[in-house]
Amino acid sequence: MKSLHKLIIAVSIGVGATVSSCQKLNIPPTNIVTPDVIYSSEAGVKSFLATIYRNLPIEDFKYRPDGGEDVDVNGVHYSHPGFNPGNPWMNFYNSASVTGEEVGPYGGMEIGSGFGFWPYGDIRNVNTLIAELPKHVATLTQPTVNALLGEAHFLRAYYYFGMAKRYGGVPIIAVPQDPGAALSTLQVHRDKEEATWDFIGAELDLGFQMMPESSDAGRANKYVAAALKSRAMLYAACVAKYGSVNFVDGQARSSGLVGIPAAKAATYFKAAYDAAKLLEGHYSLYNANSDKVQNFADVFLKSGSPENIFIKQYSIANNTAHSWDATMSPRYMTANALSRSYPTLDLVQLWGNLQITNDDGTPKRFNNRAEIMQGLEPRLLATIYFPGAILRGLTFDMQRGIYPSFSGTAAAEVAKQPNSRSYILSGDTKTLYQGKQVIGFTGPWTGGDELTRTGFYVRKYVDYNKPQASVDLYRSEQPWIDLRYGEILLNRAEAAMELGNSADALTSINQIRERAGATLYASIDLDKVRKERRMELAFENQYYWDLKRWRIADVVLDRAHFKGLMPYYVFNENKYIFLAEPELFNREYTFQKQSYYEPIPGGEIGKNPNLLPNNPNY
Amino acid sequence: MKTLIGRILAGVCILASAACTKIDNYDGPNASFQGNIVSSAGGNLLTSGNSSQIRLQQVGWTTPQTIPSKFDGTFQDTKLFKGNYKVVPTGGAFWPVTDTIIVNIGNDTKHDFTVTPYIIIKNFTSTLSGTTLTLKFDITAPIAAGLPIIKDVQPYVNTTKLVGAGASIRDFSDVNAVIINKQFTDMSPAEKSITLTIPNLIPGRTFFVRAGVRLSDSYNSSNFSEIVQVDIPK
Repeated sequence: MKSLHKLIIAVSIGVGATVSSCQKLNIPPTNIVTPDVIYSSEAGVKSFLATIYRNLPIEDFKYRPDGGEDVDVNGVHYSHPGFNPGNPWMNFYNSASVTGEEVGPYGGMEIGSGFGFWPYGDIRNVNTLIAELPKHVATLTQPTVNALLGEAHFLRAYYYFGMAKRYGGVPIIAVPQDPGAALSTLQVHRDKEEATWDFIGAELDLGFQMMPESSDAGRANKYVAAALKSRAMLYAACVAKYGSVNFVDGQARSSGLVGIPAAKAATYFKAAYDAAKLLEGHYSLYNANSDKVQNFADVFLKSGSPENIFIKQYSIANNTAHSWDATMSPRYMTANALSRSYPTLDLVQLWGNLQITNDDGTPKRFNNRAEIMQGLEPRLLATIYFPGAILRGLTFDMQRGIYPSFSGTAAAEVAKQPNSRSYILSGDTKTLYQGKQVIGFTGPWTGGDELTRTGFYVRKYVDYNKPQASVDLYRSEQPWIDLRYGEILLNRAEAAMELGNSADALTSINQIRERAGATLYASIDLDKVRKERRMELAFENQYYWDLKRWRIADVVLDRAHFKGLMPYYVFNENKYIFLAEPELFNREYTFQKQSYYEPIPGGEIGKNPNLLPNNPNY
Repeated sequence: MKTLIGRILAGVCILASAACTKIDNYDGPNASFQGNIVSSAGGNLLTSGNSSQIRLQQVGWTTPQTIPSKFDGTFQDTKLFKGNYKVVPTGGAFWPVTDTIIVNIGNDTKHDFTVTPYIIIKNFTSTLSGTTLTLKFDITAPIAAGLPIIKDVQPYVNTTKLVGAGASIRDFSDVNAVIINKQFTDMSPAEKSITLTIPNLIPGRTFFVRAGVRLSDSYNSSNFSEIVQVDIPK
């Protein structure tokens, strides 16, 4: 009987084991997302797209042109130098601080050789998307597939644009490479610079044809593709026109890997012009406020602006917020932050010389510092905080020092050696001279980097509505406007001017000037177009590339020193004077001609020697 | 059992000792390469900090390296690996050398390169009057056609014999530059005879001074005069 029990138990176990062992381990892996999950719905594709969008080489608030270092943010490690999210808070490390728009953290042309941007991992993602999408028409429907394909072509163009403007010609890889293929097929050669720009143009054309007219904020639509094309083709045109005059010779140039024949310039200018014209009537300049100063400040802060074509968004909740507000203003006006971005007098004087001296050369006397702003163009006042301006209830009380008395001309005073000038300076804001503060709470001073060294602060993009207590690091959410209609008009005007259509250029520039509150031009030339661009797009990370593509960077930044505007209090007169003096960092900037192209990253050459020859002089 | 352990131990010892016998039998960087960059106008090409280099690329290796030229136009590197190198002088104010030569660099390899300078500074004189130094010189070009634009001429003043671009006192040097921005062929004979003035030198100090002519070639490079010592009386 006992043995029967044992038998039953044994048989049951045996049968049980047999049955359970028949479970085949043929289940899909649970920890990776497989193509059928991604492509089964539009939402799935969107989530795949999110990564590709996030890594786009957008030169936003956080973009750091020298790469910066890896960082830990709230316990998360980021190793993505240059573009988001590397070094997210030090937003003053921008290209404006070496071009003379401002002086800031860089001591020289430290951004000249870039940081080895090489986004073929992201390009592979887009290539996979482009290869896969047509296979899923059944689940996604043809119109959706087409729209998404258009978006993918736009994204691919954006990545190649980010490389072409740095390296010239790069390998055009348009299908996902098979990692198992022979090394000889994986080690591709660079394509010519001309072919690279042509590819970008063609991709953006596809994007324009396939995408719908509108999109969610932060995503592309057909006009975004056209807008980017107007920018990219302008770059290519200038490389052709100006790069054939001012260049660095070398093997890469003689084989066309960098440089475009001058004869192609007109074709590219035409492409830029046509692309810009496509946006006419679909976007317009922001003009909601009749107060011109407030209106231009709001261009960068108001959501739903008809001017915004392509934006990038940030959120505190998702840990992607930036720190623009905290790093552009002095600690005096923030909760706890550090500024290091100071617009130069050189930039301000694009708008014309400030009236700070009388006809006899003596400094003009001002009753208060705010008087300096009288009669200035509204756009200038909305771009830069002047002495006497007010933010969050506090006054920018810029004061470099005190003159017990002042006689003579401004030029003679500035030319003196510092130790023979009769002014009173101080190393901190607490020192008083006969009961009067020697330097203002907002500088200028030389004791540290955190107060202005030029007498100005950046105003563009600064959210004036934020209460001071909440202006801190990682607390700013205003979107970066990557493409706006203002730039499109400037692209159009420049292309038109280069093509000899000055009437069209004049109309476009006057639209910009009308909104800016400037006097309209009666005639136009290329210098005016370029100057307008510098004024309108200051601090938008454009001027560095403009200097490069116009091939004037080595002329403009040739042992360049920039100036500041130093306010002083004249004690015995109870008045203020302003002196134009070298900025207080006293930095020198020289752009080496080789920096018109960045070197192909050394690590990539190590993996693929076919990327040689490297760009000239590297 | 004991013999087994013994055998295993013996085996381990043999293997371990064999692992230790590998020797790095490659030579260290013990080759050297030196020489002169000779000006076709005679003498060595005078340079200054970083302005001309010998560029070496080892055959079969991708990354080039450079040997900077010294101020007197000589160069030397004693820490090179032996081997065949493609070598070319580059970066200075001379007509680009397009022929790279192949040099087999071993112990004490010597090679001189002859280059044609863009500009030659002749009849260089310096006269001191009070604290103001005046430099005069003429410029000529061995090959005038196709010369890069002449950007500026300037004095270089320093307190040591290492004086030149990047090694000079700005307030005496850069600020006294004279902008030219012309083609050499468009300059009149008078314009090719240049005077530079350096006012307000400090009494009682010794300065080393030279002049440079800067061209807008790929490197914004300069041709230099010789270096003179100037003692400012108290």
